[in-house]
Amino acid sequence: MDRYDAVVIGAGNGGLVAAIRLLQGGAKVLLVEKHNLPGGFATSFRRGRFEFEASLHELNDFGQKNNGGDVRDLFDSLGVTDKIEWHPIPEAYRLISRKPRIDVTMPFGIQAFIDKMEKEVPGSRKSVERFFQLADETRKAQAYTNSRNGVVDSKIMVREHGNYVRTGSYSVNEVLDSIGMPQRAKDIITAYWCYLGAHCDDLSFSHYASMVIRYISRGAMMPKMRSHEISLALCDRIRELGGDIWFNTEAVKIVTGKDGGVEGVVLAGGREIKTRHVIANCSPHIVYGKMMDSVPEKVVRATNARKFAGRGFTMFLGLNKSADELGIDNHNYFLYDTMDSAAQYELMKKIDTNSVQATVCLNRAYPECSPPGTSMMYFTTLYMSDDWGGISPEDYAKTKEKVANMMIDRFEKDTGAKIRDSIEEISVATPMTYARYCGHPEGGIYGYESQYWDGLNPRLQMMAHDHMTRGLRFAGGFSMRLSGYSSAYFSGDITGRQTVGDIRKEG
Amino acid sequence: MAYKFKRQIFGFMDLLRFKKMVPKREEKLATAPATPLPKTYRVNETAKILHPGNRTAKLVAVEQVTPDTKTYVFETEKPSMFRAGQYVSVRHEIDGSVVSRPYAISSSPFAALKDRKIAVTVKKAGFFSDWMFERAAVGDEFSLGDPSGDFFHDGIRDSRNVVGIAGGSGITPFYSMAQAIAEGSEDFSLTLLYGARTEKDIAFKKQLDSLVGDKFKVVYVLSDEKNPKYEHGFVTAALIGKYAPDDYTVMMCGPQAMYDFAEKELASIGVVGAKRIRKEANCVGTRDVKPAEYALKVHIKDQTFDVKADARETLLTAMERAGLRVPSKCRAGGCGFCHSRLIGGEYTIAGADKRRLADKKFGYIHPCCTYPDSDMEIEVPQG
Repeated sequence: MDRYDAVVIGAGNGGLVAAIRLLQGGAKVLLVEKHNLPGGFATSFRRGRFEFEASLHELNDFGQKNNGGDVRDLFDSLGVTDKIEWHPIPEAYRLISRKPRIDVTMPFGIQAFIDKMEKEVPGSRKSVERFFQLADETRKAQAYTNSRNGVVDSKIMVREHGNYVRTGSYSVNEVLDSIGMPQRAKDIITAYWCYLGAHCDDLSFSHYASMVIRYISRGAMMPKMRSHEISLALCDRIRELGGDIWFNTEAVKIVTGKDGGVEGVVLAGGREIKTRHVIANCSPHIVYGKMMDSVPEKVVRATNARKFAGRGFTMFLGLNKSADELGIDNHNYFLYDTMDSAAQYELMKKIDTNSVQATVCLNRAYPECSPPGTSMMYFTTLYMSDDWGGISPEDYAKTKEKVANMMIDRFEKDTGAKIRDSIEEISVATPMTYARYCGHPEGGIYGYESQYWDGLNPRLQMMAHDHMTRGLRFAGGFSMRLSGYSSAYFSGDITGRQTVGDIRKEG
Repeated sequence: MAYKFKRQIFGFMDLLRFKKMVPKREEKLATAPATPLPKTYRVNETAKILHPGNRTAKLVAVEQVTPDTKTYVFETEKPSMFRAGQYVSVRHEIDGSVVSRPYAISSSPFAALKDRKIAVTVKKAGFFSDWMFERAAVGDEFSLGDPSGDFFHDGIRDSRNVVGIAGGSGITPFYSMAQAIAEGSEDFSLTLLYGARTEKDIAFKKQLDSLVGDKFKVVYVLSDEKNPKYEHGFVTAALIGKYAPDDYTVMMCGPQAMYDFAEKELASIGVVGAKRIRKEANCVGTRDVKPAEYALKVHIKDQTFDVKADARETLLTAMERAGLRVPSKCRAGGCGFCHSRLIGGEYTIAGADKRRLADKKFGYIHPCCTYPDSDMEIEVPQG
């Protein structure tokens, strides 16, 4: 009864997809989730007459039926695409920077993007075209790598994906400089950097470029009923395939055998589930730090080497006026102090100096997401250090309010919209909220940072190396695809299929 | 395509660099310190104080407040913090049933943080409160839930001036707010219009009077007694006009009849909408239909239970009566803590449907506000 082929710990984006992949591979699967809802951050919540999206700004790489992206292909093969209603996002982003002064709205569509950039930055066309050519080669090389599960023929790589190999070890800034992109065009094209949480001197070009081309060439989507719709659709599919999902059920321990490999999972309350395969949709710091008794030194060292990426802060506003009335023109805003991302990253270390925001007005993608005459916004930032760790419980509410006020002031000043007097509902999530909700260390929402040495390329090439404990694999933002919705879904896909292979090998 | 490449980028060395990414990362992973991984983190520890979750608490004092109201003071093992106006679920096993009720916290946030004390004030009004009145004794262990609810002052949304309208036991969250203002854990001005039936029904009068100051005023309004010391009647527009400052947010806690009356009065002076008027939700009670008994099949993890459900009571009540350990928090349909999957059966939701959109689409319900209209089958997370 208490024996499963595999136990998935955590029903976040990675865990949900991994569970489906395991079931599709014929495994008997138990998915345990400590919260009472699936999705991890992919959820929604109600306040008054509003239903807020908890985290998704826009789903990348989904595309349209006739221009499907990799996420759509994945959802097709999981059997969930048609369980969800989708709304397209109207434009890529509006970028507002204070120094240099930039206020530009960039469109979806590669040609439209290049044309708009040429208008904003005359003389940039050639370099931006090059950027997209390189990005396209990167995408193709990644598709080849994925088709070979990371085990590639280096002759084919060099012969057919030469530019990917050539750019693959460099940062965003290094490559953009080498293709001679004018500074202002660089500033505009790197606006998405905060979505990956590492500055452009650190962030791998391949990673960034493949994300940007997916956004710009295929557009982005939003599920009609917030990301909760995706999470429930994935649960629905798990049940259709015969999987068990237990909510309010925390896995507290992974039991290991003589070989150091997985033998079972202990749930809060003491019940033990026998299994030889665990997919942990949580941080290795938590798994190795407190869920396992004896962890080899090599694993401890490898875990200590990683750096926590951004800790989250989000303000949700339900406004009692429409976006038109308030002067909110766009779906997706990036507000920066500077486009020097390394300098900006430094400012984002401290509560007092961080006023970066990625802000969404969902009504601009889906006008009916809130009642007529109202609108709904969410404002997100990241902290690049553990500054919230120094906030006492006494000062917590004040600090939260201070940051929320900074966000409102910043948005009003930079965009000219007037929102403060129309706030009917407000909810604020801090690193403490995220720490409580998903248990991530320091309230991080981006997994391990994409440092120069720990970027997407080496992580993908080292999946076998990083698989250090028999029967234990990781999914979600802390794993090989790094953070973000599409990445987390793909991590579940990869890890689920790998575990099916592990199970088959055992016979 | 042929590019002219500067520096190392896009040259022979780039291929070598690409090849070196793996050994370089291997080295980084292998040479990091072997110091034990942290067991916890500062933010996560603070989160445990702000959101302690279900915990055991010992009843350390019981105080009679009015003839039909008592305050129960609990001591928790660890400090916690909340926003004045929030509630906690108090849970206890009663004759084989695990029962819980949400009660507004009547003590101050710093008492929870510094003295590990949380008090709730309970009016004798039903099954659980009767049990509390008659059986609960100092020294008993209870389970307390996470401090919850949105009925607290928000410095960004709300005016700095709050007009509080309290009816009967709805005084509780305001008493907490008045203490919070005095101790500095909340920062706003509260003008409290407190309606009670007679003088002897006024709870916390001495304490409230002693808290009056620059930021806190209280006006007692008696409905069933004429007494020159107090206002008489209900909280009308005229009464609000007499005491309210120029700009204010209204916060109300009391019975539905009070909300209906006060909202009409407020509308007559142009105060409307959820931005200006904040109301605490009331628990879902029984419904007035013909008695009928339905079979309710409940799946919790890999166990199945067959229980009886009364058409007049919610599914949550049916499960609690049967002794099942199931989640419950607000008991008003709003918090979603009892989020459960509907497998089959007909039902009616009490009041406004506060579920998420996708819950409706994929068939999830909140048992705390759902009455059965037929035999039903549901899957419920463990409580």
